[in-house]
Amino acid sequence: MRLLFVTLMLLVAPPAQAHEMTPSNPELMPAFVAGLLKTEMSIFNKRADVEYYEIGVFDKDWKAIPFVTSYRVLKIEYLTHAKFDVYIREQDAKRAVYLCSLSKLRPSTQRTANVSSKICSRFK
Amino acid sequence: MLKNIIVSAFVLLAATAAHADVDIVGTVSSKCVIQNDTAGVYGNPTSDKLSTLPADGGVKPIVRFDVSVANAYKAKITYPTSFSVSPSLTDAVVWSGSVAVSKVSIAAMSDYDTNKVTYDATSEYALHTAGSTWFETTSAALYGYSKSLPGGTYRAVVVAECIAN
Repeated sequence: MRLLFVTLMLLVAPPAQAHEMTPSNPELMPAFVAGLLKTEMSIFNKRADVEYYEIGVFDKDWKAIPFVTSYRVLKIEYLTHAKFDVYIREQDAKRAVYLCSLSKLRPSTQRTANVSSKICSRFK
Repeated sequence: MLKNIIVSAFVLLAATAAHADVDIVGTVSSKCVIQNDTAGVYGNPTSDKLSTLPADGGVKPIVRFDVSVANAYKAKITYPTSFSVSPSLTDAVVWSGSVAVSKVSIAAMSDYDTNKVTYDATSEYALHTAGSTWFETTSAALYGYSKSLPGGTYRAVVVAECIAN
């Protein structure tokens, strides 16, 4: 009976709409180019309404810090992982505190107040 | 003799099995997950107002934070102060809103609302307990002075942030 209830709940439950990013405390390591540091991040897109995530690096006062990734706005299909490398200059690394991903919402035709999710990891 | 050989063979097989490789598999999962629980909808109770209050025909957006480590994250939720999509508006829009905890998975989280820090349109919560917290946001936009909102699509965005400490 309990198993039936759980199965029914799983069938009836709406799809998860989540945004995940790992690791929570990334570490900057030397990259293959002198003067650059690198960290590897991963985003899991469980939001059916979101396909794009914007990456940003910030200091303690939330001022933007220059960085390089393959794409600043990543296209991540629903229920897929995306791994990406973030490169920061050594001279900026001391100021870098947060590495964030922000979901980009699509325009819709309804009167909506939707949620844009932002997850920020903190450098070690 | 044959019996001894069979026993020795079994012992050797058993010894081989004892050295079988055992994989250790680990997955690093996110310690803070933002779940978009309920999409918000603006009701249009009067010609100059949009509101997510159920009494105004709206639906409050609800977002859930799942945190698996205590005292490791803070939640920042900001209600909208502008439309991201709207027809051309010629007059000012007065925005109001609030953020509140609507449900918690652990009783110890019941002080989140009391201890929240609010500035501008943002409410900041220290997530001191591992578990799930549901935050609901109200948002209202009042247009001009005795003017009707032009027909068209209106959209605003609530920003939910999970920031590692």
